[in-house]
Amino acid sequence: MHIRKSYLLLGSVTIWIALARLLHGKNTLQIATYENTSFTSFIGEKALALRGNRTHSGAFIYFFNPIRAVIDGFVQFIRNLIAVPAPGGLIPIIGWFGVVALVAFVVFATSQWRTALLSVALLMACGALGMWQFTMDSIAMTLASVILSLAIGIPLGIWAGLSDRVLKILTPFLDLAQILPTLVYMAPIALVFMIGAASATIATMIYAIPISIRITSHAIRNLNQSPVEASTSMGSTQKQTLKKVQIPMAKQMIVLGINQTVMAAVSFVVIAALIGAPGLGKPVISALIIRNVGQGFVAGFAVVFLAILMDRSTSAAAKRQESFIPPTPKKIKMKRFTLIGTGIAAVVSVFLSRTILWAAVWPTSINIAPQVEKITNNATQWILDNLSIFTVDFKDFISYAFLNPLESILSASPWYVTVAMIVALALIIGGVRTAILAFVLAMCIVVSGLWYESMLTLTQTILGTALTMIIGISLGIWTGRNDRVERILRPFLDAGQTLPAFVYLVPMLGLFGPTRFTAIATGIVYSIPIVVKIVAEGIRAVPHSLVEAATAAGSTTRQIITKVQLPAAKKTILLATNQGLIYVLAVVVIGGFVGAGGLGYLVIVGNSKPELQGKGLIAGAAILLLGVIFDRIMQAGARRSA
Amino acid sequence: MKALFGRRSVFVTVVIAAALILSGCAKSVNSSSGTTSKDCGSWAIAMHAWTGYTASAQVVAEIAKKELGCTITQTTLDEGPTTYDAMEAGTIDVVIEDWGGGRWSDWTKRGSVVEAGLNGNVGLIGMYVAPWMVDKYPDITDSKNLNKYASLFKTADSGGKGAWYEGPPGYTTIGEKMVAANKLNFKVIFSGSEAALVSGFTKAEANKTPFIGYAWQPWTLFAKMPNLEKGHVHFPANDWTDAKTASGLTDYPSTPLMKLISKKLNDSTSAFKTLVDNFKWTNADQNSVAADIEGGMKPEAAAQKWIDAHADVVKTWLGK
Repeated sequence: MHIRKSYLLLGSVTIWIALARLLHGKNTLQIATYENTSFTSFIGEKALALRGNRTHSGAFIYFFNPIRAVIDGFVQFIRNLIAVPAPGGLIPIIGWFGVVALVAFVVFATSQWRTALLSVALLMACGALGMWQFTMDSIAMTLASVILSLAIGIPLGIWAGLSDRVLKILTPFLDLAQILPTLVYMAPIALVFMIGAASATIATMIYAIPISIRITSHAIRNLNQSPVEASTSMGSTQKQTLKKVQIPMAKQMIVLGINQTVMAAVSFVVIAALIGAPGLGKPVISALIIRNVGQGFVAGFAVVFLAILMDRSTSAAAKRQESFIPPTPKKIKMKRFTLIGTGIAAVVSVFLSRTILWAAVWPTSINIAPQVEKITNNATQWILDNLSIFTVDFKDFISYAFLNPLESILSASPWYVTVAMIVALALIIGGVRTAILAFVLAMCIVVSGLWYESMLTLTQTILGTALTMIIGISLGIWTGRNDRVERILRPFLDAGQTLPAFVYLVPMLGLFGPTRFTAIATGIVYSIPIVVKIVAEGIRAVPHSLVEAATAAGSTTRQIITKVQLPAAKKTILLATNQGLIYVLAVVVIGGFVGAGGLGYLVIVGNSKPELQGKGLIAGAAILLLGVIFDRIMQAGARRSA
Repeated sequence: MKALFGRRSVFVTVVIAAALILSGCAKSVNSSSGTTSKDCGSWAIAMHAWTGYTASAQVVAEIAKKELGCTITQTTLDEGPTTYDAMEAGTIDVVIEDWGGGRWSDWTKRGSVVEAGLNGNVGLIGMYVAPWMVDKYPDITDSKNLNKYASLFKTADSGGKGAWYEGPPGYTTIGEKMVAANKLNFKVIFSGSEAALVSGFTKAEANKTPFIGYAWQPWTLFAKMPNLEKGHVHFPANDWTDAKTASGLTDYPSTPLMKLISKKLNDSTSAFKTLVDNFKWTNADQNSVAADIEGGMKPEAAAQKWIDAHADVVKTWLGK
């Protein structure tokens, strides 16, 4: 059965290549970028009408505009606290010293003094980079969207954890939200809620809420059921069971959900600037404009610091619940005293930051930004001067050997051949239902009129994912087998995941020029961390007994990897591939900035040219459709192989 | 929620609340100085993604802040519809330079965006080859000869034709039409950003590799690469008399750049309106400020430098 499937796959790919050769250049559905199909111009007109309606349509006056006003007000309130002066004032309500003290206190109270110290250091580092106000703006935006996301996500998650029907209704939405590339739905949101903090907050919430729902419901569902049953049998009401048993037991997992929600919000910090949100994204984007790599990195580092701060403080809060040894009364007393002491200190610091100038405004004399800027600029210049000979050759090699042939199969052959072949692959890998879904969604893309661009994007995504997997699996195996490598690699992986792509776009351009490969390389950098993490996890999860048995039988390291660990982790690796593809697809829009064309370019151009607005919106939808098709095929494949 | 967050959380909340209340009561350093003048009001200037724009907007912002005492917000956002929407919603008041000849018409019809005259800069758009190529192939600047050299411009990405690097997304671009109308053996590659074009031109000139790309003036690349000017490829002007040739645009027309203001600013009597109405300068002015910014100067400082050197011009803008 297994062998037959791979023969089938090989056979259909061969037929595909043959047909593509035979019918090269026919029915490719290519249209010029400035041309609209009747469908895209219809959508464009609707979008334009929507803009015109904003001031007098009921939906806006009674629904969208109030939502915007409330969220805007909420964000503005938090910003006034820590980031910007309230109207009529010169400083925010709490000065920098007060913010540092409060953060230190909160982190100390919820986790431990070491994390508190780290948080203070990271905050001060952001200030020293000359990014204090931008950092505060980002924290304000993050806080606002996290609070709102949790207010919706945790109750819904608990509900979905208790009721199968709710979970069933929510699941498709949760799946969709995970695939949806963030840069894609910003345009429609800005269309309805206008640019600004509110739109950015809502965009962040769309990204973050599904994560908190998923983890919360998972936490409630995977509880040890015996205490729950005991509670019910003792006559507790459902509400009592939930409050006294289920939620306290699921607490640690729910806090982990908060951590993930916070990280999702932080990852939005830079993109949010594209729709006018305040924060660290602003200096990142303006550095891109003047192509000052160093300046971009300064802001980028602040983003990374902020992400580490948020991650470590919330994950430490989750971990501290783990301890099973009850603390001695003396320890409890000690902790209580220090807590009260630090609490008072925090209140005093806030008071100071309000009344004394040095504690209110970050001292401009503490600024290491110019030095950091210079160092990174020099480093980048060195890399560009010395490496671009190799990188250009490498890019050409990949382009001629893989990119061009693949592109000619996917985009330069008739659409019906490509659709038929995608459906055939879906049938072989995922079965009838997956095939039907793939067919319907692929036809949607065809009808939308953006088939050709979709195939260009698909080509880049497939190649990007393939390269990501080659690098990601090898690094993943290495880190999975070796804890030291994991420790060394971890900061780089974290940075790769949080460092905004806009920061390294300019060096990438220097290395590869405005080409499709630049987009692919950006996608690789962005998606490798997640792949490495998942693969390493999978390798570590392989039962020790298996590995030991193989070692005892005299297997070499290579044999252990290829014959034991990889096959045992197969399902995880398939899931990692899926994640890799989704991540590469998520930054496809960024490819539009660096000469990769395709759907990403259409999304960008649709934002700035009214006549192409419809095309841009549809291009965003097409990216989503591509994502769903491949997500479903691979999920089905992973399920079947298990 | 108490089930989820324990006693300690209550304590943390209490401390934060205390801190907030205290900070609310405390006499703030705020009250010691207050300089914002109320006559001018507070206005928001759109900041678009190119350095030339930054130069113009920053000069206006500095004058408004220092001379008129206005409260100025500078909001970074996409040009075009996004900005017009923001103007309609009242979050943006000034666009100091718009290239999109009339793309704002839907908004001006509704009265939410108002044209505030030309800003003095004239946008010239064209296709340019890397300057070294002109020395080697003198006839390359005539569009009729481009096909002869098309194979030089071939790259891994251009599908066997010459690679034609098109301008950034928001800009007026007619490359596909030009290639078709002039029957050129080139493939249009959407370079996607100003950064991509700058890196393309500078690398091509440094390594003596062939490159043809979209360029515009005023643009700071011309300050850094003055001989780029001679790389301008001349296309036949659009001929509308013959129906057949009129089907495709053959070259870019020159564009006088427009200032746009919000209805709110248009209706006001603020001195800021006078400043925006009168603001007018040359391509050379803009280039000099933009070059300083690209050279690493803070936009505020670069703008101030120009203002200090042109006090008389600033005076006329202020209507003094």
